[in-house]
Amino acid sequence: MTTLEVHDLTRTFGDRRAVDAVSFRAPGGLLTGFVGSNGAGKTTTMRMMMGVLAITSGEVRFGGRPVTRADRRSFGYMPEERGLYPKQPALDQLVYLARLRGIPTADARRETLEHLDRLGLADRAKDHVEKLSLGNQQRVQITAALMGRPRALILDEPFSGLDPAAVDGMVDLLREHTARGVPVLFSSHQLDLVERLCERLVILRSGRVVADGTPTELQEAGTLRHRLVLDSDAGWVRGVPGVHAVDVDGPTALLELADDATAQRLLATALERGQVRELSPVRPSLAQIYREVTA
Amino acid sequence: MTTPLTTSSTLATTADGTGDDGTRGAWLLVAQREIVTRAMNKAFAIGLVVSLVVIAALAAFFTWQSSRVDTYAVAVAGTDATAVASVTAAAELAATEDAGTEIDLLEVTDDDAARAALSGGEADVWLHPGDDGWVLVGEREPDGVVSRLLGTAVEQQVLAANAEAAGTTVAELSAGAELTTEALDPEAMGDQALFFASFALAFLFFAGAITSGSMIASSVVEEKQSRLVEIIATAVPLRQLLAGKIIGSSVIAVGQNLLFAGVGLAAVAASPISIALPALSTSLIWFVVFFAVGFLALAALYAVAGALASRAEDLQYTSTPMTMLVMGVYFLTFTASGSFLTVLSYVPVANVVAMPVRVLSGDASWWEPVLSLAGLAAFAVLALLVSERAFRGALMQTGGRISWKQALRSER
Repeated sequence: MTTLEVHDLTRTFGDRRAVDAVSFRAPGGLLTGFVGSNGAGKTTTMRMMMGVLAITSGEVRFGGRPVTRADRRSFGYMPEERGLYPKQPALDQLVYLARLRGIPTADARRETLEHLDRLGLADRAKDHVEKLSLGNQQRVQITAALMGRPRALILDEPFSGLDPAAVDGMVDLLREHTARGVPVLFSSHQLDLVERLCERLVILRSGRVVADGTPTELQEAGTLRHRLVLDSDAGWVRGVPGVHAVDVDGPTALLELADDATAQRLLATALERGQVRELSPVRPSLAQIYREVTA
Repeated sequence: MTTPLTTSSTLATTADGTGDDGTRGAWLLVAQREIVTRAMNKAFAIGLVVSLVVIAALAAFFTWQSSRVDTYAVAVAGTDATAVASVTAAAELAATEDAGTEIDLLEVTDDDAARAALSGGEADVWLHPGDDGWVLVGEREPDGVVSRLLGTAVEQQVLAANAEAAGTTVAELSAGAELTTEALDPEAMGDQALFFASFALAFLFFAGAITSGSMIASSVVEEKQSRLVEIIATAVPLRQLLAGKIIGSSVIAVGQNLLFAGVGLAAVAASPISIALPALSTSLIWFVVFFAVGFLALAALYAVAGALASRAEDLQYTSTPMTMLVMGVYFLTFTASGSFLTVLSYVPVANVVAMPVRVLSGDASWWEPVLSLAGLAAFAVLALLVSERAFRGALMQTGGRISWKQALRSER
């Protein structure tokens, strides 16, 4: 299990700090999601991790030591807004990219054909890439990153433009790599997807890490809310000390409670007024946490 | 997508401390791909075939032109011994000159028969004595070569007769009057042929540099636009990528010019100007060597043009300086002459055309192309160094066009 980490990674463009002292870990064997709005610095961070962009300050570590050129050569990488050679067959260009990474021709060919076969593209291997659908082009691109047992995967928006079935297929592929202990870092705009897939999550805002941890850790760190359901109008809860009513809708109220004593007091008051159907803690969704930390 | 992956090769993982991390030979892979994709490109293949067909057609035309023999039947009244002797002499003259003209004697009974033969098409011209001298009659104005040959023959016959009447000989009469021509350098070419050859060289340079130059630029921007270059950059050093692209496109450009030069030489060998073959071959060999070195510099500059662009549409702006340079060399070299041509033959890139032209005209000493080539090589090294820096600086910058200055200052 080799961990990929960044420490105080910073990149400036002129006066602008696109990435500002970013630190996080992508542990081996786990899928780590990397989220943030457009321009938050995800792509810049990933490009620095891959050595495509020079680092202003800070460092990238792999397996506990500074990452080397040879390490990066063994990483699988999917850049954003990517494409392929439009007028070259998928097979030829995958073999070419693999050979550039030092994989012998025969192995590169065999492995490419296996991947294409699994992706249902075996009969399209000799077609020019421009003749493939966008989804199939995306499959060829992921194959380029997965060739040759990469020691880490850094994928910028790998799921954009894929239908749910294709996403599941690609996730199965990624799981095979985490199963070998490889760290997988991927960025995405699709929060529901990230919530469903990721064992770890890093949220970036204006070039800074604003949240980092497992989804459960993040949810626990987020503001805990309670839902109260009565059999009559719940409007009176607004007047209870220590209770902040986020939303009241007839007999249902979403509340933030100052402490446990407040909860007990609220429950007693409610029982005095009538029946209580429900008083339960509400785990914040990732979307809610995201809105909180990026607000 | 549920079958597990059964086999996998493993990527190189460690540097072995010798400085070779397995990326040293990457340029060869890149060059191979450049050459193969270019050769498979339909437009390129069609262009090449069309060019070769045009050159071969020109060659065939020259050969046909030179081997063509026109036969002229000259009608004379059989009773006129001088006329018969003149035509016989003209036929011999035509045979020794070997200028593609043959003269046949057509004896007829009298003038009326001669006119009939002329209008019937059996005779091309009719030679007969006139009131004062001789007359050559054709349906239209008689052919120039035939007129000249018959004129000379008639003149000799008449002169001989007149000389004999005066008690002397033609040889005595014309002693000391013969004009002979001599050339100091019999292999030097005529002005017209020289102009044609320098135009051809300038055009070979222009076509080769522009087409192969823009192909390397678009191949660079294709990888930049599709971000494939980011994947490649993590696999091999950018220097290897640049070297592979330059070498790949140089092989294509030089190979193409070798092919054209070979077919061109074959055309010349088969044509009436085959006497110029040795001079032309020497000049063409120099041209190919100069072109190979000069194109290295141009290819590097064109690669930067590709790196400065962000999309294929930007190329026409970023490659403008290189295109101007190539066009400037083209126009200057085929129009230049005299001392200006001598100066150009030492100016890097312009000397790719200018020096071979001077070699062809026989005007350059043996050391001159050597010295000029050394200058060109120095320029190429400089261009490669500067381009390599600009290429690395610009290639990873996205968003809009990048200037040379930004590229050279940037450290990615």
